[in-house]
Amino acid sequence: MIFLDLELKDSPGELLKALQPISSAGANIFSVIHLRENKTDDGRVPVKVVLEKLNEDILNTIVLDLEKLDVVVAKINEKVKKINFDVVVIGHIVDTDVLDTIDRLNKIGLVVDLNLTMPTPEAESSAKMRVIVDSENLNQLYEEFEKISKEKGLLFIKSC
Amino acid sequence: MKIILVGFGVIGKGVLKVINLKKNHLLEKYGLDLSVVAICDSSGAAINKEGLDLELALKIKEETGKIASYPEFGQNIGIIEVIESVPADIVIEVSPTNIHTGEPAKSYMLKAFETKKHVVSANKGPLALFFKEITGVAKEHGVILRYEASVGGATPIINLAKETLAGNRVKSIKGILNGTTNYILTKMEKEQLDFNTVLKEAQELGIAETNPHQDISGLDTAAKLAILANSIMGREVTINDVVLEGITRITPESLLMANKGGYAIKLIGEVTDKKLEVCPKLVPIDHPLNVKGSLNVAMFNTDLANDIVVVGTGAGDVETASAILSDILNIHQSLKK
Repeated sequence: MIFLDLELKDSPGELLKALQPISSAGANIFSVIHLRENKTDDGRVPVKVVLEKLNEDILNTIVLDLEKLDVVVAKINEKVKKINFDVVVIGHIVDTDVLDTIDRLNKIGLVVDLNLTMPTPEAESSAKMRVIVDSENLNQLYEEFEKISKEKGLLFIKSC
Repeated sequence: MKIILVGFGVIGKGVLKVINLKKNHLLEKYGLDLSVVAICDSSGAAINKEGLDLELALKIKEETGKIASYPEFGQNIGIIEVIESVPADIVIEVSPTNIHTGEPAKSYMLKAFETKKHVVSANKGPLALFFKEITGVAKEHGVILRYEASVGGATPIINLAKETLAGNRVKSIKGILNGTTNYILTKMEKEQLDFNTVLKEAQELGIAETNPHQDISGLDTAAKLAILANSIMGREVTINDVVLEGITRITPESLLMANKGGYAIKLIGEVTDKKLEVCPKLVPIDHPLNVKGSLNVAMFNTDLANDIVVVGTGAGDVETASAILSDILNIHQSLKK
């Protein structure tokens, strides 16, 4: 059996949408557990899906299709695949080309949410970013934070 | 046991208060008869081989600022000379910390070892810079060095890991090891005030020092982390190896942003086999490390006991003296075996 831990947007029709690539691939679904009470920090709803054993190519196709539909594949068979986390950034975020910062991070992971506040034009801004990254690319993303931090004088406050 | 007290500032005074308070209890419960035979400060020392009057010593210090003014037994004498010449079992070393050179505390410790005296210290400087050398010299001379009060004040961090969790492999330690930064961040978060305003208020209340650089830059936490890394994780590092970022750039807006995402921002020190860093981190609101005010907290991740968290007061005269007293008792118990 294959155990998939998915995280869906909390809106009507998302579960049906998430099951579509699985059924299209002809995979047999044994169970679907909707964990509405255990929402993630960014308000997504975790769903555990148990499938029949599949060959790796079909499984990879399903995962890619799910990601295209904005479904986070958090774990496959208890192995962490995607990590999503918040990072608070302090500094002259806009003046140091916020688009470039996001583009550089998107080459490794994906910035899916950005809240920014600029108290006065002179003062440093503060932002909260939500980033999704493949677990194996987490260290690379942290290295990019450090590089950007040195180049642009930004302070990245990561989760403990 | 005869004691030489080196350093008669806030902590030194706290030590005398605690010994005075607990003298009978220690004698009745543990058979430990404590006698302070010398007290040293920068003015000199009071020395009486039969034991000093602790209340009188505290009164003299309060009134004159100099222990050398102690009637009959006060004298102008160097601390090294006192350690060398006065017979005693334990030197309690609570002189001012210097995290750049470790001196003069390091020399006091080494002299105590050379003259076969055990040492109980609250001093971060020498331990964060010369841990291997200092513990090596203590071992060489067959004496005991204990330093629980150097990290976390009253919070039992070092002895908990080394004694209560003995047998466990500690995989990581992370925590808030500086009460001043925790107070500042808690206050900024709660009242949406900027860093400088809260710092000024903390200085007026005596929570932050007149020169708060070591606290807010993270250096104080780094010194404590180096001690934990050496003593608990078996690493060979100094304060200079710690990757460091302080809290001076934290803004009320960033705290608000973090709060909305379900986090607090705390200055966290973390040591693993590979990591040694002090920096502001996002701590989930319901996480055990999210302690408020000027509290300290340490979380151990171990192979057998999994996660263990200890929370307590990080500073204060009597609180720190409580850790020193537990070290004295521990030496007493060890010598009885």
